[in-house]
Amino acid sequence: MREVLTTCVYCGCGCGVYLREEGGRVVGATASRNHPVSRGNLCVKGWHLHEFIHDPARLTTPLLRKNGTLTPVSWDEALDYTTAALGRLKADHGPDSLGVLASAKCTNEENYLLQKFTRAVLGTNNIDHCARL
Amino acid sequence: MSSSHILKKDHLIPLLRKLGKAYRLVAPMQNRHGDTLFAEVASVETMALDLDHQPQESLKPFLFPQQEVIAAYEADQAGYALHPRYAAPPPTLYFGVRSCDLAAILYMDVIFSQRTREPHYLGRRHNTVLVGLNCNAPFPNCFCDATKNGPFSELGADLQLTDLGDRFLVTAGRAQGETIVSRWPQFFSAAEEAEIKKQYQLYLEARGGFQRQVHVDLAIRRLAEGMVDEAVWQQLSLRCQDCAGCAYVCPTCTCFTIVDQPRSATSGERLRCWDACTFAGFTRMAGGHNPVEPKKAAIKHRFLHKLKYDVEKHGRPSCVGCGRCLDICFGGTDIARFVELASEE
Amino acid sequence: MAGLATTFGSGAMTNSINEIEQAQVILAVGTNTTEAHPQVARRMLDAVDRGAKLIVIDPRRTRLAECATLHLAIRPGSDIALLNGMMRIILDENLHDDLFIEMRTENFLALRDMLYRVDLAEVEVETGVPRDRIASAARLYARAQKAVICYCLGITQHICGTDNVQSIANLAMLTGHVEKEWTGVDPLRGQNNVQGACDMGALPSVYPSYQPVADPTFRRKFEQAWGVTLPEQPGLTLLDMTHSGGQGAIRGMYIMGENPMLSDPDATKVEATLRGLDFLAVSDLFLTETAQLAHVVFPAASFAEKTGTVTNSERRVQLIRQVIPPLGETWPDSDTIMALAARLGYPMPYESQAEVMEEIALLTPIYSGIFHDRLETGWGLQWPCWGREHPGTPFLHKYYFTRGKGHFVPAQPIPASELPDDDFPLLLNTGRVYHQYHTGTMSRQCPTLTREADRALLQLNPADAKGLAIRQGEMVRLTSRRGSIELAASLTEEVTAGSVYTTFHFHEAPINRLTTAAADPKAKCPEYKICAVRVEKVSP
Repeated sequence: MREVLTTCVYCGCGCGVYLREEGGRVVGATASRNHPVSRGNLCVKGWHLHEFIHDPARLTTPLLRKNGTLTPVSWDEALDYTTAALGRLKADHGPDSLGVLASAKCTNEENYLLQKFTRAVLGTNNIDHCARL
Repeated sequence: MSSSHILKKDHLIPLLRKLGKAYRLVAPMQNRHGDTLFAEVASVETMALDLDHQPQESLKPFLFPQQEVIAAYEADQAGYALHPRYAAPPPTLYFGVRSCDLAAILYMDVIFSQRTREPHYLGRRHNTVLVGLNCNAPFPNCFCDATKNGPFSELGADLQLTDLGDRFLVTAGRAQGETIVSRWPQFFSAAEEAEIKKQYQLYLEARGGFQRQVHVDLAIRRLAEGMVDEAVWQQLSLRCQDCAGCAYVCPTCTCFTIVDQPRSATSGERLRCWDACTFAGFTRMAGGHNPVEPKKAAIKHRFLHKLKYDVEKHGRPSCVGCGRCLDICFGGTDIARFVELASEE
Repeated sequence: MAGLATTFGSGAMTNSINEIEQAQVILAVGTNTTEAHPQVARRMLDAVDRGAKLIVIDPRRTRLAECATLHLAIRPGSDIALLNGMMRIILDENLHDDLFIEMRTENFLALRDMLYRVDLAEVEVETGVPRDRIASAARLYARAQKAVICYCLGITQHICGTDNVQSIANLAMLTGHVEKEWTGVDPLRGQNNVQGACDMGALPSVYPSYQPVADPTFRRKFEQAWGVTLPEQPGLTLLDMTHSGGQGAIRGMYIMGENPMLSDPDATKVEATLRGLDFLAVSDLFLTETAQLAHVVFPAASFAEKTGTVTNSERRVQLIRQVIPPLGETWPDSDTIMALAARLGYPMPYESQAEVMEEIALLTPIYSGIFHDRLETGWGLQWPCWGREHPGTPFLHKYYFTRGKGHFVPAQPIPASELPDDDFPLLLNTGRVYHQYHTGTMSRQCPTLTREADRALLQLNPADAKGLAIRQGEMVRLTSRRGSIELAASLTEEVTAGSVYTTFHFHEAPINRLTTAAADPKAKCPEYKICAVRVEKVSP
């Protein structure tokens, strides 16, 4: 069993939490005693932080809508389709016809990259996230 | 029965190195963030052994994991089949276990073998060697004197260590302990009279070192006499925030629930997960009726279990005075607070 | 956060979470803290145990309200009236902090003139709180040496959200309760990285570190760093996008880890928009209600399968660390973005998340001293962090406000966008429950959490229920001008008569089909906390 310190993904408190890993599975979560926010405890969501990670409903392959149905495809096919669609809309209707939603659940790095992608690659400032929700 | 030996501190790491070759070694270590946890020793060379702080959790997560796969199942129209899975851990030596955590393991031994023998816990337990360490200086939240299982104890440990300054007094309490002493005799010398006397002296001093006065015996008596006011439960339940943290860090809380997790339409895994009696879902029945009124009665049940039912059943409370639930509680509804409220005349 | 930015110059918690427990008086406004921010509630209760006074302003009798010294159960939406009333009393009784106002603030006379026009008898009627209780709260707060105000979405999710926040800031400045340890104004963030997503410029009008896109100086800075020409016009906000109608301004969307189908107000319009798009790509852990409408769905790696940083409410930047490899064929979102960028002819070849953070540090002044290696040990760094040697900043506005002097902005009560009438006689308030989180994408996959709370309940006052002949647990239909859902009734005194309350976690009872998209004109925060509804029995 191995314990890795990470940061809880639920609310804005930012508790320090150890994930317990055994045999490639995350099997538990426990608080950091000295972390300034969690100080040894977590709320009910934090204590069960590991429970959704291996849930069988997790998406594990890219999906592409074919004849109305989302169908498993390769990463290449999904990425090619996406870039073609975004490129076509940008050419036909201009960059401001595209909109991007970043996420208050993703990391700073991911949000930074996504706003950079939106502004520098798609060429629009149409980016927002659900900060107000 | 037990024999006493001396292990010089200079020889502790060399001994652990030998033990690490024969066993999977688990010891309290301080990680780079500053937390002290029981963890597997990857390298004796670089291990940051920490015997100065209480490990933030007991050995419960090792012997009775928070979540484990206990069986695989297949189900189709014709019926279903369960294929139990038993983890087969290597022989494991736990080093530096305090008296509270030793007492808790003895309690879990009883719980997991009293009616039916529970193979998952006992499978791990039988492959376990426990090396205890007496507490010369109790930690700030400890009250094991009040639950009468510390700060010194020989119960449960295969080898029990007492810190005498530059050396450990080592008592071999069980056969496994004797095996270690006789397998690596070069590390051990016979204890002298003065050293054994010093151990008793330290024991006396340690008993005076508790910072908290938690009158567990008084609370037990008042519970037995039915003298605890309903207002106490009301007050505690208002503050309980339903996190289950007290049950999860408690070394003697052994409640669990079973969850089936499908992997396909016809197969899946059966998980055993920690549960807490303070949850409404712990007692709620399929139709939605809950025989235990949420919160107030659930909190009451938790403390009655620790300090009344277990006393009736096993002759002692199942609180071992480790103090872990004290400073983690969000709302101040920990067992010390309960004892304080329950003891008020 | 527009409100705090105007008055203080910086829209974030001024204190650290731990400071709350040392406060003498805590004023909690519009925050269901025990359920939504348990660690903050723990500090509040610890403070109460040490003798601190807790004042709760909330229309509902929450658990926190039950633990309070004083609970002011205001009528929903009357926060400004109440705060103005408190300030008027403070002024009348000479409890304000002259020295602080003189040294650290500006525009006080405008506030004073406005307060002198406040009629306390009217305040009493408008808020439904007796005058002596308002006065008690005002005196408790004003007289304390160390006083903290915590507020949350109960303040911001109103059509007058910005004015609400400014009123809170006015109260804090009037009494000098800012810029010290254990004293301040603390907006609590609802999600683990709202603060960070804002800091990183995932907003239509600003680059990272709130540098405006419309300002040519900043635009040139980013054009130079990124080697491209950047658009000049600020973009559309979330609601402008998700309510654009599908064939309107927006024709294609990329959505990373959000579920607007459940989280955005007036969700019927959101659905029409998303269905009408020419192209929709969604990246998520699960097939959310939004992903179900997509043309392409990317399977994302969870937080346990990637590395990166997140920023909490108290501005603490911390690592999340990879524990296991990505499951199946999932990818961290950063890999997906980089692959898309490369295919569109703009490679972003970052070797690691640490390298991304190095670029963030370069371009984001408040993060300029934050690097992954500094976060490896210890407990993260609180921004602003001005350089490698800078230790971070536990509390803001020491000695001076970020904008120089604190600016009083007087605020007048503004009626809610929709008030009860004969057809829709009840006020609907929405929020969260303790055991679930947001749209439930993650938390509803947790067996223990789901066992504790697996369906939406409509909190209804027993007096209202009696009039409608609704019994405990009975299914009811809840209808607003925008939609209708069915859910079970829970009769409780937690809500006052005339109000109902439920949560937005459950797709079976998508409450945001009922809520209004009317939003605060400055912060664009929708009015989730008030709309008019009616409740009916579902006929068997």
